[in-house]
Amino acid sequence: MRPTLSLIRREFTAYFVSPIGYVVFAVFLTVTGYLFYLSLELLTARGPRGISFPMQLMVNDVFWLVFLFIPPLLTMRLFAEERATGTLETLLTTPLRDWQIVASKFIACLLFYVCLWIPTLLYLPVLLDLDWATGLVGVDPWPVLTTYLGVFLAGAMFLALGLLISSLVKTPMVAALVSLFVSLVFILAGFWRPDMDTSGAAYRVLYFFTVPLHFERNFSRGLLDTRQLVLYISLALFCLFLTVRSLESRRWR
Amino acid sequence: MIHVSHLVKYYGDYAAVQDVSFDVPAGQIVGFLGPNGAGKSTTMRILTGFLTATSGKATIAGLDVFWDSVEVRRRIGYMAESCPLYTEMRVEEYLRFRAGIKGIYGATRRRRLDYVIQRTWLGDVRRQIIGTLSKGYRQRVGLADALLGLPPVLILDEPTAGLDPTQIRSTRELIRELGQEHTILLSTHILSEVEMTCDSVIIINKGKVVASCSLEELTRQAGERACLVATFDGLVDPDAFRGLPGLTALSPETIPGGVRLRFTTPDMASMAPLVCGRAVERGMKLRELRPERPTLEDMFVNITGGLVGTREQ
Repeated sequence: MRPTLSLIRREFTAYFVSPIGYVVFAVFLTVTGYLFYLSLELLTARGPRGISFPMQLMVNDVFWLVFLFIPPLLTMRLFAEERATGTLETLLTTPLRDWQIVASKFIACLLFYVCLWIPTLLYLPVLLDLDWATGLVGVDPWPVLTTYLGVFLAGAMFLALGLLISSLVKTPMVAALVSLFVSLVFILAGFWRPDMDTSGAAYRVLYFFTVPLHFERNFSRGLLDTRQLVLYISLALFCLFLTVRSLESRRWR
Repeated sequence: MIHVSHLVKYYGDYAAVQDVSFDVPAGQIVGFLGPNGAGKSTTMRILTGFLTATSGKATIAGLDVFWDSVEVRRRIGYMAESCPLYTEMRVEEYLRFRAGIKGIYGATRRRRLDYVIQRTWLGDVRRQIIGTLSKGYRQRVGLADALLGLPPVLILDEPTAGLDPTQIRSTRELIRELGQEHTILLSTHILSEVEMTCDSVIIINKGKVVASCSLEELTRQAGERACLVATFDGLVDPDAFRGLPGLTALSPETIPGGVRLRFTTPDMASMAPLVCGRAVERGMKLRELRPERPTLEDMFVNITGGLVGTREQ
């Protein structure tokens, strides 16, 4: 247990030592800040303009376009860089087991991802119409809560995917690019919305794994669809399982 | 302490290690000597659990390296070739992290850190970022890392590679010191290193163990092949020397301006005056008379070239 904590701590601090962590932070906060500004404008608009589900605007196309790049950037160095510099050898010859190594890296990565979202908690008082005097929320809080749950689990899935790909390739750059393309599969259909026939069979198939559609229809409206929760959790666990196997297979080369 | 029997490792069709067997007794420093590509690193990686052998068996401290890999790794301190480190961390930070991974915590960790840093002379660079250190210091950090768990066995892959002569000397001194408390298996292709630090040597070439003996044995064999070399001006008939007592072999060689004769004899001290005397008797112009002992390097080249086979111990 404690060796794992040691590794988590080192991996987590490594994000704050390299520039990538800060670049991701800056871009992410800029985009969410801008989207919050747009939501705020609509929420405080006079007349018939307005928005019923502000989270739909916070987590929309623009957000997903930027989000597409974040998990690859966060996970690209995790195994690929260790392979490139040779430090994987020093890690694999310690008394740590393979699953402990994978778990530590994933948890460190997830922790950094959570840290990315923490500053957005500042927007909560506005999004929830918090009355400072009584501490009561003016609107239904569930859309906000389910959206946060959704981004956490969806993020875990994409990060696990990125971790798997990082363990399979030799350089961080290739890991980032391949993760990007694989993540695209999960996000791309979300941008075709205007053209797609929502009653057709193709749409129904795509809907299962297209993450932006899940958010648009369910999470940002306060709905929790267990199909989507199962997808995120099971895919994340499956990718982690494959990563452990991939690490193990390195010893058999 | 370390027992390896019939280890084989294939990378696809290429046999990196073929039927390697050797033993490293506890408390000794054993040098793994071989040209580049001989299979030294591969064997060491199999011992540390980084690779698995295609066939064969290896045990360290009684535990099988394949079946009890994690337990074996607890008893080993490994320093990989070219000593890879996390260059963005500080020395102290890195060693604290490695101690944590190896299960060392709290006050023990602090004491252990002080101990290894003092042992590997890293005191001055404790707070320096590893990326700014020279190669010599980085190797020392790697060595300090290997020492952290106070393992009974140290496996060092080319510990003096890329160092300058002063650093090489201090590293060898350190290894000799450590050899008093740990069992050390180190690999190298520098013979003087073997001569200066190791108790015995295993010579490996093209994946096979070619020789395995203690250093005294090897020097003794080198001594056996010693001979007396006499250089003469002009033409000389070798038969003139054939009758000398104690002469086991005589080989002539033509050189520009004269002849060189090699006298092989068990007793070189008494042969020299005899050769001198005979030369003066026959009126030959003796230009040079000297003993010639093959250096360890000649032995090594001959062994790995396959010209000479040595007896295994």
